[in-house]
Amino acid sequence: MPLAEIPLHTTNWIVLVVLGGLLALDAVSWPQVMVSRPLISGTIGGWLLGDASAGFLVGALLELMSLRHPPFGAARYPDTGPAGLVAGAAYAAAGTASLGSLVAAMLAGWGIGWIGAVSVQLRRRGNERLFAAEQEMAARPELLERRHRLAIRLDALRGALLTAGFVLPAVLAAVWSVDLPAAATGTALGAAMLVTALAAAAGAGGRTSSSGLRGWPLLVAGAAVGALIVGLAW
Amino acid sequence: MWAWHGDSVKPLRKDFFSAWWRSFGVQGSWNYRTMIGGGMAFTMLPLLRRIHAGDPVRLSDAVARHQKAFNSHPYFAGMAAGALARAELEGADAASIDRFRTALRGPLGTVGDRLIWASWRPACLLAAIAAYGIGLDPLWSSLLFLITFNLGHIGVRIWAFRRGWRDGLGVGKSLHEAWLVRVPRLLAPVILLLLGLDTVLLGRRVLDVVNWDGFFGGLAAVAVFVALVAFRWPRRTGRIAAALVVSIPLAWLGLALLNG
Repeated sequence: MPLAEIPLHTTNWIVLVVLGGLLALDAVSWPQVMVSRPLISGTIGGWLLGDASAGFLVGALLELMSLRHPPFGAARYPDTGPAGLVAGAAYAAAGTASLGSLVAAMLAGWGIGWIGAVSVQLRRRGNERLFAAEQEMAARPELLERRHRLAIRLDALRGALLTAGFVLPAVLAAVWSVDLPAAATGTALGAAMLVTALAAAAGAGGRTSSSGLRGWPLLVAGAAVGALIVGLAW
Repeated sequence: MWAWHGDSVKPLRKDFFSAWWRSFGVQGSWNYRTMIGGGMAFTMLPLLRRIHAGDPVRLSDAVARHQKAFNSHPYFAGMAAGALARAELEGADAASIDRFRTALRGPLGTVGDRLIWASWRPACLLAAIAAYGIGLDPLWSSLLFLITFNLGHIGVRIWAFRRGWRDGLGVGKSLHEAWLVRVPRLLAPVILLLLGLDTVLLGRRVLDVVNWDGFFGGLAAVAVFVALVAFRWPRRTGRIAAALVVSIPLAWLGLALLNG
């Protein structure tokens, strides 16, 4: 695809960056309504670049990959808001159903998610300094309020910077990967690997819910129902 | 029956709403030293200002108490805020409040993590993906997730805040007896069914991208086997899943080199 045909312009780049900030904010700081989940952020990213369905597919795949990383306590987990947004936008920008661009978008999303996780840790360290003057804040509660609001704004800025830094490289990577792989064997191998990875992520994610090992027949039953639907519909 | 400290003032409805609304941002200043301590003080301030109206020293002491280290699930932080504000109103001594804060951290974190992060959220997400898998439009599927999840989310926040204020220092017992605690056990089988279903439906969508003409049944059987192995040993296979995705381009590169 020629560069001029890539549907990423200054206007939607700015919208993506602003949304990246807001979606990053939603994950932890405010208001946690879960628009930051990759299923939603991916769909928004795809919709902004012309294909909500493409964004949803990448988002759903990233969602299954993320199930194993719930935000328990101080655990490190992928920052899925900007990650899903960029991945969804990248796959939609590629403009055609291609395994190469799907994998490129997923890789971009997964990588940005973990870079975002590191940036969240750095921000938390920064908050320690912001809230060090405990006595002063107790004496002047309005100072505590100002600093709390500042911490929230800084989180939005973190998400916006993350999106600004990665959206163009991710879109370019997805667009340039449209024709990958050239050989049919490669395509089959890649698709089989992706489906296997999906299954592994889903199986591992199943243990995060409160079910014990005895729940495995339900996993198989769900897959059987899925196979029945696929058999009837395809 | 209200029993509050002689100098304290009962908060108004607008103070409760303001504190509840602030609880949405309770994790905004999360840090490794006090965790959501700063956020708790921020959330409780509209109530504390009213309760200790006209007494800046008591207000300052209360803010100092509540910005100390604390953690809970964010959706249940309102329960702690309500209960602690009630304790302040009733004139509980600082040592009792400190002990109560420490005792409340574990249960609020555990119940919330299990109920929301490990059950309600995955169930809603997987249901939305299943809806997409059987043909619902992606935008409607996204809305389905946002609406169902947030009905539970907002409901829990309202319930938790009201229950905290109602029960004060006795909120731990109330939390333990709540029906919400049993929800994860009820949702666990649903989540597993949906996981199996979504894996096959999403797998089929991926294969559609490449116009797969191979034997779908064989690949599906391998996928189910892998999912079961991952279910048995989740830590190792979770990493293998990510490694598989990362290695797809490498596999292509290897194939290209082999084919000259």
